[in-house]
Amino acid sequence: MARSVGFNLLQVLFVVALAPLASGVLSRLKEIVQSRRGPSIFQPYRDLRKLFNKDEVVSEHASWIFRFTPYVVFVAPIFVTTLIPVLTNYPLFFAFMGDMLGGGFVLALGGFFATLAAVDTANPYGAMGASRTRMVGFLAEPVFMIVFFTVSFVAGSTIPYIVQQHWVTPLTNFFAPSHVLLVIAFIMLILAEAGRIPVDNPAGHFELAMIDESKSLEYSGPGMALMKWGGQMKLLVLICILLNVLVTPWGLAGGRSTAEVLLAAPLVLFKVGIFLLVLVVIESSFAKLRLFRVSEFLGAAFVTSVVAMITGLLSF
Amino acid sequence: MILLFILGLPLMAALISALPLGRRVAPAVTVATCVAVLVLTVAAALRVVAGESVVTIRNWIAIDGLSALILLLVATVGSTAALFSWGYIAREKSSRHLRRYYANYNLFVFAMLSVPMLDEPNLVWTGVELTTILSVYLVAFENTGEALEAAWKYSVLTIMGGAIALLGFLALYAATRGRYAEGAYTWRTLIVLAPGVSPRVLETAFVLILVGFGAKAGLVPLHTWLPDAHSQAPSPICALLSGIKTTVILYVILRLIPVLNSSGKIDVDEWAMVVGLFSVGIAAFLIIQVTDYKRLFAFSTVEHMGIILTAAGIGGAAGHYGAVYQILNHTLTKSFCFFAAGATLLAVDTRQIADVRGLIRTSPPAGVALLFGGIAIAGAPPLAVFLSEFSILRSGIAKQHYVATALLAGFVIVAFFGILYHLNRMVFGQPDPAIESAAPIRLPVSCVLTLILAAAPIIILGVYMPEPLHKLLLMAADGLTR
Amino acid sequence: MANSNALLTSLNGLAAGLFLMSSFGLAATRQMQGCLRFYITQSICLVVSALLLGLGLHAPDLLAVAVLDAVVKPIVIPVLLRRTVPEAVFRRREIAQVLNIPSSLLIALALTLLAYFLSGYLPPATGSLASINLPVGLAGLFIGVYTLTVRREAVPQLIGIFGIENGALLCGFAIASGLPLVIEMAFPFDMLIIALVIGILTRMTHERVGTTEVGGFTSLREGIGK
Repeated sequence: MARSVGFNLLQVLFVVALAPLASGVLSRLKEIVQSRRGPSIFQPYRDLRKLFNKDEVVSEHASWIFRFTPYVVFVAPIFVTTLIPVLTNYPLFFAFMGDMLGGGFVLALGGFFATLAAVDTANPYGAMGASRTRMVGFLAEPVFMIVFFTVSFVAGSTIPYIVQQHWVTPLTNFFAPSHVLLVIAFIMLILAEAGRIPVDNPAGHFELAMIDESKSLEYSGPGMALMKWGGQMKLLVLICILLNVLVTPWGLAGGRSTAEVLLAAPLVLFKVGIFLLVLVVIESSFAKLRLFRVSEFLGAAFVTSVVAMITGLLSF
Repeated sequence: MILLFILGLPLMAALISALPLGRRVAPAVTVATCVAVLVLTVAAALRVVAGESVVTIRNWIAIDGLSALILLLVATVGSTAALFSWGYIAREKSSRHLRRYYANYNLFVFAMLSVPMLDEPNLVWTGVELTTILSVYLVAFENTGEALEAAWKYSVLTIMGGAIALLGFLALYAATRGRYAEGAYTWRTLIVLAPGVSPRVLETAFVLILVGFGAKAGLVPLHTWLPDAHSQAPSPICALLSGIKTTVILYVILRLIPVLNSSGKIDVDEWAMVVGLFSVGIAAFLIIQVTDYKRLFAFSTVEHMGIILTAAGIGGAAGHYGAVYQILNHTLTKSFCFFAAGATLLAVDTRQIADVRGLIRTSPPAGVALLFGGIAIAGAPPLAVFLSEFSILRSGIAKQHYVATALLAGFVIVAFFGILYHLNRMVFGQPDPAIESAAPIRLPVSCVLTLILAAAPIIILGVYMPEPLHKLLLMAADGLTR
Repeated sequence: MANSNALLTSLNGLAAGLFLMSSFGLAATRQMQGCLRFYITQSICLVVSALLLGLGLHAPDLLAVAVLDAVVKPIVIPVLLRRTVPEAVFRRREIAQVLNIPSSLLIALALTLLAYFLSGYLPPATGSLASINLPVGLAGLFIGVYTLTVRREAVPQLIGIFGIENGALLCGFAIASGLPLVIEMAFPFDMLIIALVIGILTRMTHERVGTTEVGGFTSLREGIGK
């Protein structure tokens, strides 16, 4: 029992501590692929430290929402972490507090507050980014729904720990069309949801073309640090859901000893690294889509998920 | 063996036509081959009439009454159109294009000959597909913007139809598989096995084939390519396309009617009548508003396809006899009409009805031919088309399909007046003085000869039906019944 | 044995799923190159499905067809198109289309659902291994017809035709294995001639008219407007 709670906290610690590293590795890999020289993979940590040591400036017109939002954005991924398998392939203490749908709602809560906060300061870019984020969100929502329902129908459960076992028992399930197509649809969703190319350019500095970034333009100091950290954790959590729940449970700790769980950490990190490499390839080989083409991209994701549903459900 | 010769000759002719042997060789070889093929098909048809079975490769290449009739018609129109091409295509300057034309012509005739001969339905599909593909170049031959546009619509729509029909053929095959001797999958087998097939599957296969090949045969609503292709192609090719190619494809659809009838649970007659009447009706009203006289004849083809299908749907020995009789008359008359249209085009160099007045004075042979063709295809009394249409209407009344018969009669009358209204204005009327004063254009000898040769059977069949032909028609009608 | 069959079913389902995805690609992609690539993917899925069915149903003829199709469809036909159709046609991006991409995708989805319901009207597949081929092949056929109607460019229209044919064959493999080899060989051969003839027609059109946007050809219409 205590051990279970401990492992759960360990998972949270894993995500909180290593999310900046994942994002650092991602940008470093991208720079290597594009033959540029970039900062070290620990740069995100330095950025965070710098931001925490700075003063925060808040507009006097801003309401409590603006102040409150960074905490929500920071905490939401942590809550989700307690629900999903990050290091172990058996359910931990909090695993039954909510299913995948619940996790999705908690993540969406963070996004919701970020959007409100962006409008709150009356900065024109904030409102623009907020409306764009909502547009992407509206288009991504049906895909999310279909992916979740298909997954839960095919696997017979909405609890992520049970779902992940389904894909490999028996192993032929791994090659089932519904599984592969769901994974593709979910990758497209991650790209949209985490604001990566081809939907949004996270490294862009041109306010007019921003979608996600423009929402945090008004933040400074610790608030900004929390927003950034929260964003990085969200990406890592989404990747963990993809890799551990949808793709494979391989590399996760099966036993209950502390050593095994600790050993799982580098293995999971390795998996994440491989996925980051895929992400880099995607980001380097596509150009950012024009804003109104985003609907086509998500339309493709929608079609993929529906085809997964059809092949999964109707062939039974 | 005779059937293999019929297939082999056009292939050889295609090869020779493709060789650079001078401008006169290719047309001469083509005409000679087509006439030889005609003689051979007459011989084969006579053997069928005499009751012999003409089988070259058992279960693969064989003919019965219905296929003998179609084969005969292909060879007939193939010969007349080849003769007409001689004078008509001679205008083409490049002898390379000329050679390609004749090579393609022979291949096209080959493909059309193969369809009635093949006995394995899946191979028939291949043959039909070949008729389409090999005629695309011929439709685009004039290489104008319009001809290319027509060729596009033609190829895209009809190849699409072919792919849809493919699924129908595969479904037919799958539904009966394993219940006949190895390698004995033929039209005949299908009829025998049809009662054991799930009617739902059989009907699906039929509808797929009806839609797919209906597009190729020019049945409404997938007829839109037909007036374009049949007006933009060179006139001898129009004669082949309109006169015989559509009929060949309709033949394949007709082959399925006894199959579905023998199943006994599907009302295939209703399908045929509804689709057929729809085509007749739409085409009859489209005829009224055409502005191009080749399109006029093209729409008339859509109308006739509808009539044949309706007649097959009316059913009974009389209805089926009417259908095959109409096939015969349509093929002979429609090919003549396009020869007449080709002659007119040579004489006046325009396709617009409004631009042609008093043709009978500016170019008497073309004028007479056009008038005769128009009267014949519209179905005026002493001529062959009248007889077949009349017999169809009579069988409709005898089978108590009163509504269908009344509709058919009404549409045929509308089309009759539509055709004659347009042709009347072209043939008579006051010609443009500038054209009238110019010296009358001389038509090429081969074209005039073709017109005479092609007109002869239309007149003769109106008053006299040779006994063997009558017997062949009866056998063909029988093939639709059982 | 049962286990390997389950694996084959899964893999065949995967091939069918990717086949369906590439059908959507055919209907909705904007670029000429992309269209061709989706066709190649689709053909590869078709070949893989034929191979798996041949293995699972112990049908050597399907294996032979798979080998033949593997040569003709994803390799020879694209090469043929490349050689006959002028390079300028392929270099065009942003091909015109009657309906925009999201609505195309939705219509294609609707057609897929329709295909699922209509697939019951076809003869049953030989063995549960192949049952997924029926609805997916039918959907490929429908989407191909749809592609043909909304595309305005020559080459995508041609590829739409190939899509229809691929769909029909995917169904066909499932229901009609054991066709005589002569006939099985006729199908890819037929496609080859179609590619050749239409490729040449495209070149003629390109040379003569200067565009291959065949959807814009409207000079042949019924008389009233003229």
